[in-house]
Amino acid sequence: MTSVAQTIPGEPPHPHHWTPTNAYHGAKLGMWLFLATEILLFSVLFTAFALYRWAYLGEFHDASLNLDWKLGALNTAVLILSSFTAALAVDAAQRGNNKRVKHLLLFTVMCGGIFLVVKYFEYSHKYHIGLFPGVECPVVEAGALHGSEGHGGGADVAEGGHHLEYCWPKDTSGLSEGQREMLVSSKYKMYFGLYYCMTGLHALHVIIGMLLLSWVCFHASRNRFSEKYYTPVELGALYWHLVDLIWIYLFPLLYLVD
Amino acid sequence: MFRYLPEQGSKIAPRVDWLHHWITDLSVLFTVAVCGAMLYFAVRYRKRDGKDHETPRIEGNNFLEVIWTVVPTLICIWVAYYGIVIFQDMREGEGEALVVNATASQWKWEFQYENGKSTVGELVVPVNRPVKVVITAKDVLHSFFVPAMRVKKDAIPGRYTSVVFTPVKTGSYNTFCTEYCGTSHSGMLAELRVVSEAEYGRWVNDRSADLAKLTMDPATLGSKLYEEKGCNACHSLNGSRLVGPSFLKLYESEERKFADDSAMSFGGEFSIEDYIRESILYPNKKVVAGYPAGLMPAFEGQLSDGEIKALIAFIRKQDGSAAQSEEATGDSGEDLQAKLAKMSPVERGEYHYQTKACIGCHSLDGSNLVGPTFKGLYGKNREFVDGTSGAADAEYIKSSILNPNGNIVAGYQPNLMPQNYRDQLSDEDLEAIVEFIRSKQN
Amino acid sequence: MTVHSDVAHNNKNYLNHETTLWSWLSTVDHKRIGLMYLFTITGFFIVGGLAALTMRMELASSGADFLSPEQYNVLFTLHGAIMIFLFIVPGIPATMGNFLLPLMIGAKDVAFPRLNLLSFYIYVVGAFMALYALLNPIDTGWTFYAPYSMQTQSAVILMTGAAFVLGFSSILTGLNFVVTVHRLRCPGMTWDRLPVFVWGLYATAVIQTLATPVIGMTLLLLIVERWLGVGIFNPAMGGDPVLFEHLFWFYSHPVVYIMVLPAFGVVGEIIPVFSRKPLFGYKMVCYASVAIALVGFLVWAHHMLVAGISDTSAIYFSVITFGVAIPTAIKVFNWVSTMYKGSISFDTPMLYAMGFVFLFMIAGTTGIYLATLAVDVFYHDTYFVVAHFHYTIQGGAVIGLIAALHFWFPKMTGKMYNEPLAKIAFVLVFVGFNLTFLPQFVLGMEGMPRRYFDYLPEFEGLHRLSSYGAVVNGFGYTFALLNLLGAWIFSKKQAPANPYNSLSLEWNTQSPPIHENFEETPSVTDYPYAYGTPVEGGGH
Repeated sequence: MTSVAQTIPGEPPHPHHWTPTNAYHGAKLGMWLFLATEILLFSVLFTAFALYRWAYLGEFHDASLNLDWKLGALNTAVLILSSFTAALAVDAAQRGNNKRVKHLLLFTVMCGGIFLVVKYFEYSHKYHIGLFPGVECPVVEAGALHGSEGHGGGADVAEGGHHLEYCWPKDTSGLSEGQREMLVSSKYKMYFGLYYCMTGLHALHVIIGMLLLSWVCFHASRNRFSEKYYTPVELGALYWHLVDLIWIYLFPLLYLVD
Repeated sequence: MFRYLPEQGSKIAPRVDWLHHWITDLSVLFTVAVCGAMLYFAVRYRKRDGKDHETPRIEGNNFLEVIWTVVPTLICIWVAYYGIVIFQDMREGEGEALVVNATASQWKWEFQYENGKSTVGELVVPVNRPVKVVITAKDVLHSFFVPAMRVKKDAIPGRYTSVVFTPVKTGSYNTFCTEYCGTSHSGMLAELRVVSEAEYGRWVNDRSADLAKLTMDPATLGSKLYEEKGCNACHSLNGSRLVGPSFLKLYESEERKFADDSAMSFGGEFSIEDYIRESILYPNKKVVAGYPAGLMPAFEGQLSDGEIKALIAFIRKQDGSAAQSEEATGDSGEDLQAKLAKMSPVERGEYHYQTKACIGCHSLDGSNLVGPTFKGLYGKNREFVDGTSGAADAEYIKSSILNPNGNIVAGYQPNLMPQNYRDQLSDEDLEAIVEFIRSKQN
Repeated sequence: MTVHSDVAHNNKNYLNHETTLWSWLSTVDHKRIGLMYLFTITGFFIVGGLAALTMRMELASSGADFLSPEQYNVLFTLHGAIMIFLFIVPGIPATMGNFLLPLMIGAKDVAFPRLNLLSFYIYVVGAFMALYALLNPIDTGWTFYAPYSMQTQSAVILMTGAAFVLGFSSILTGLNFVVTVHRLRCPGMTWDRLPVFVWGLYATAVIQTLATPVIGMTLLLLIVERWLGVGIFNPAMGGDPVLFEHLFWFYSHPVVYIMVLPAFGVVGEIIPVFSRKPLFGYKMVCYASVAIALVGFLVWAHHMLVAGISDTSAIYFSVITFGVAIPTAIKVFNWVSTMYKGSISFDTPMLYAMGFVFLFMIAGTTGIYLATLAVDVFYHDTYFVVAHFHYTIQGGAVIGLIAALHFWFPKMTGKMYNEPLAKIAFVLVFVGFNLTFLPQFVLGMEGMPRRYFDYLPEFEGLHRLSSYGAVVNGFGYTFALLNLLGAWIFSKKQAPANPYNSLSLEWNTQSPPIHENFEETPSVTDYPYAYGTPVEGGGH
């Protein structure tokens, strides 16, 4: 796409080797291919997660109790709504209603922002209870672990609510053999490693999607689109739908499945 | 061409080779046919006189396409089928097999038998009986490969895999690690020895070495390791400087200065035990000033914690009190002479190989350490650093022992081999060592 | 379709269109981008080749010569990683593909020219990262197997990060080419009139786009594993090293088809031209390319037949691997049949193409040994495998690249190279290559494992022979490249538009092409192999 100054609002850009119709179809094909690559990217994580969940069903279930399904459900609703407004924006663009496009896309981006804020709350809560990559464990004293035999979400928590089975205390000399065994076998690190990879990568794509749609929105504010040219809106919305779709798979997998 | 395949040491080997030969015949046939046709066409239809001649616009031939799709497919099905059948038959006899556990670690193979006997680098099995080797790894991926038996399987940490084979010929066979595992991947060799049923019975029930190790006090075990692992090649016990620092009074050191100008005092946070342990596992981390770096092998992964404790205990004992002598264990004086007289030349040579520190620098399995390997040495032609060459006969071996710097083999360093063997070895000892080396032919 | 061999020549072309440095660095002209890739990957070929020569010098005799084991392990890792990620994967598509694809389909450029330039710069960034990893050496092998890659002190994160970045370049190029072939064909250029080189590029682009994300994510997981200790590949924490192998090979098997499918296309272009005959079985050849691309996604664990996978899996992967051998054989038979009753010339490209047939017969048939389950148990991780993949990658893809460089040299540079010198170089390359790698098959037969710094003395004779071959091989490549470079710089002979009287569209414009490729958009009415006098029952 050429710069705004060189194009006529409502007219498609004209790279010297494309006709406008062909360019539209070509761009769409390109975007679909790109979406395929994104799906393959995430499928590696889904595969790894599925395999380990099958191997460590109990441990993964216990670990997943640390996730708040209500927040997850809120995020799901927010994203689905935002996908709906993105689709409406495409429709508006096809009718040349740039003002509506701008409003709808702003709303979509805002929903993305809400999603990220909720995610921030989830992550920071986990940071405080020590379920975060790189977080250091407090020094453990003998007997400081509660309920070392039983399981159930967050049962093995030190003073101050730190999840030792994730952060691995630096000094394990105060722990019994059974407690050390529990640290290895709880598989918290594996579960949460995959959790952060999957949700983190997804959040990164949400940010990219928001930037993309903001840029399209900017063009809409310049009355760029018309029934003759709405390709960027459609492609941006396609990307956003993918972002939503991936979350729709992530949410039940991580938060809901028993 | 097929003489290049290793000898057929197992029951399944002839069948694997049969399929191999068939694939070779078919491959050669197809390659010759295709390339032959290509060359024939090139010559027969070449441009003449620099001008193109008329060519027919033949665009294809469906019949040919069918033929040369169907025929290769049928051949592939046939080959694949036998590949699968023979693969499955490799497990023949698994039910009643003799089970040996193999554990791969950086960089050695340990084998353990059902009765608890364990060995390093040596797998002994009886002939004509199925053997199942259950394989695992301690640290990274390795792979267990015995070419003569035509078996291979990866060794995976945290899991068990296995191979099954029935050896059909007594003998000694190479065993390799064949999954890259780090620095000494190519040095991780082992020996598969196939022996008669009777000899196997005797060997596997001989637990004397294991028992001795269990009941030994740490310092005695340490002194055995001092010889077995070849420390005695470079570290004396009497204060004399060899390739490495002497162990005499080392334990009492309050301070050491290192080659990189740093220094360390002991007794505070970093104890002498920590230092000794680190030097054994990671020798190049702190090299004492005035000594060469890069020569001491790293024993990381090769010594258990108990063995390291034993070495530390042994080093601690080197305090200069009267009980210590150059040879920490073993007999001295007349007892020794009597013992030696009873041995065959090869056994006597082996005794000196172990106690005079040859073991520290010269391997028996083909790997080249600080010095050349003794495997296959006798009679081999040698090239020396000065460009001359000669055969490694008895004269050569004896002169190398008595005057090590006389003829350094190309690729090796001078001034590392001890120069004082003429004081320690009699003529009979030298003959015995020659015989010992000669016995390491294959 | 008629080819105008009297294409008007004017002195303006894509090389002198604008000559500032900035015009090159900011170019979106696919021809210039192709050239920039060419120079960069050739540089890395030299680096990777020097690593190989150093290794072969060390391996020429048993025992440690001048390298330590650590240095050797670093060298074979670098040789593999550089040759694969920096040289042969971009390989023909990024260089010749970029240059020729729009020309061959009658287009002015690829679908997304700016994305094309971005691909190049992403490649450059990844390449610099990989070079930096050279200074902080890495010793895991190019396969980065866990757990070793998680434990070793070397620069694993840097190198895998470089590969991750390079993957993006590959994905975007693949995407670009797919859309180009779908959308930018000139009038009359239906799918059954595309040159086989385009079919090869297309199949390759599909693989590039779909397979590369998997390796990207896998390497990212390896980085996360090393950095955060998550445990997915670490057995001590319940992870599975074999999972890494599966994920790794899911891409790394299709990647070999990325390397070789374009080379197949090159051979399919050269043989008809120098035989003056249509490519025999054109449709079958095209279907075969697609079949190889698709089936190539299904066979990855034949690299893992002794890695502890179940017997059932092993049987499946063995059988399906034979399935990918058949289409390749079909192609070879068709190429040779093209020469029947032809009028054969022995220009250098044709020599390379014929050499390719011989080398790939060896490559393919030795692959049969490895696909056969019982025999693979013996050959896996031995020198037999090393020889096999050098025959496919070097004897296949690299020979294809050199053949392409010679064949399209006049088109790209507007000059002709010195033919006798090029033929001498060919002989050196061909002899040197076989001398290097035929002994390695025998070494594998004798049971010599791979990635060995040192070896038992009985293997020395063959190793020495192989090392001599490597010197000849290296010399041959140097000679060939210097000959071409010298011709470009010093030759004064202007190349005609169509020196070989080829029927494909790229020859229907001047040499070198003008910036816009064609004076007017071409249109076609027949496929590009309509050589010779029509016979009864002709037509494809």
